[in-house]
Amino acid sequence: MYKTAMLTKDLVAASSKPLLLSILADGESYGYEIIQKVRELSGGEIEWSDGMLYPVLHRLERDGLIESEWKKSDTGRERKYYFINSGGRKALKSERQQWLAVHNTLGKLWKIKPALT
Amino acid sequence: MAGRSQHTGQIMENQTRFDLNAAIETWRNELAAQPNLASDDRRELETHLRDALASFQQRGLNDEESFWLARRRVGQPRQLGEEFVKADLAKAWRERIFWMALGIIVFWELTQILTFAAGITLYYLFPSLHELYIKSGFWPTDAVVLIIGIGLARGSYAQSMKLMWFLKNRFHLVSFVVILALLLSLTQTEFARESFVLNGHHPSVVTWAWAPWLENVGYFLSVYLAHIVAPLIFLVLFFPTHNWKTPRHA
Repeated sequence: MYKTAMLTKDLVAASSKPLLLSILADGESYGYEIIQKVRELSGGEIEWSDGMLYPVLHRLERDGLIESEWKKSDTGRERKYYFINSGGRKALKSERQQWLAVHNTLGKLWKIKPALT
Repeated sequence: MAGRSQHTGQIMENQTRFDLNAAIETWRNELAAQPNLASDDRRELETHLRDALASFQQRGLNDEESFWLARRRVGQPRQLGEEFVKADLAKAWRERIFWMALGIIVFWELTQILTFAAGITLYYLFPSLHELYIKSGFWPTDAVVLIIGIGLARGSYAQSMKLMWFLKNRFHLVSFVVILALLLSLTQTEFARESFVLNGHHPSVVTWAWAPWLENVGYFLSVYLAHIVAPLIFLVLFFPTHNWKTPRHA
């Protein structure tokens, strides 16, 4: 069930927050759709276990970053939709800065390294 | 792909017909057995299972294959329960404490009412047993309520609990506790009357028509209300609402 060969457990846990906030910043969504989107965007490299997603979503909701509502979809089926609020947008901004800082630093290091060897 | 699944489908059909609705129902029951999953969580997981199911069916798999793959994808009910409780230990405990407190309030009310009801019944039907009952310190009725409580905690009445109207929502639950409280306050007026008799008034004089003993009711009720108003405020304030916000058929 846990296909974390691509990403370590710690990294999955750390990256789930910015990933979820970013997806929801694009528009409201529900659990199944979110998982599909992550799978698609990462080319299958980030594989979340479906059951683990909901506790994370619920925690973000409890922290006041996202909100949820049961709504009927176009097919008539009711689903629990999540959407981002202003607190979530603020948190996303700060997450973005942090991840970009890590990304930039690693990028510089790894660009130099091949030249050294 | 489609040809292969059609073939297996035929074999399955020859052995036993796979009942998708029954399989989902079984899965739902397994999930319901997890104490850490609120009904809202379970409905959310069920919509997920159904979405996964539909996507496998669209890819040409038969009902049975789609169901098992979807089930696998969502995760084992037990594992899900563990994941959810890990994510929110504080919430799990808040709810546990709420139900424990509710249990204590209802236990207290029920023992009071039953003690009184049993006392009256014995007094009129078996006066000799009544004497014995008072000497025993009323423990027989406490024992009855305790046994019911243990049964509930062990899940013996899980099926019949679904039919109980007072578990449907906050309003029903509070009404239930209030009804118990009113019943209990009736017993308090009776105690007031009795205490008047004990104070030397002749029983035949102390009737409902003769009012002075009613003055004592005020005292008994005020003592009693202090015990019941606080728990009621607690119930209304700390009721775990999210369980009831969910629609029936998600």
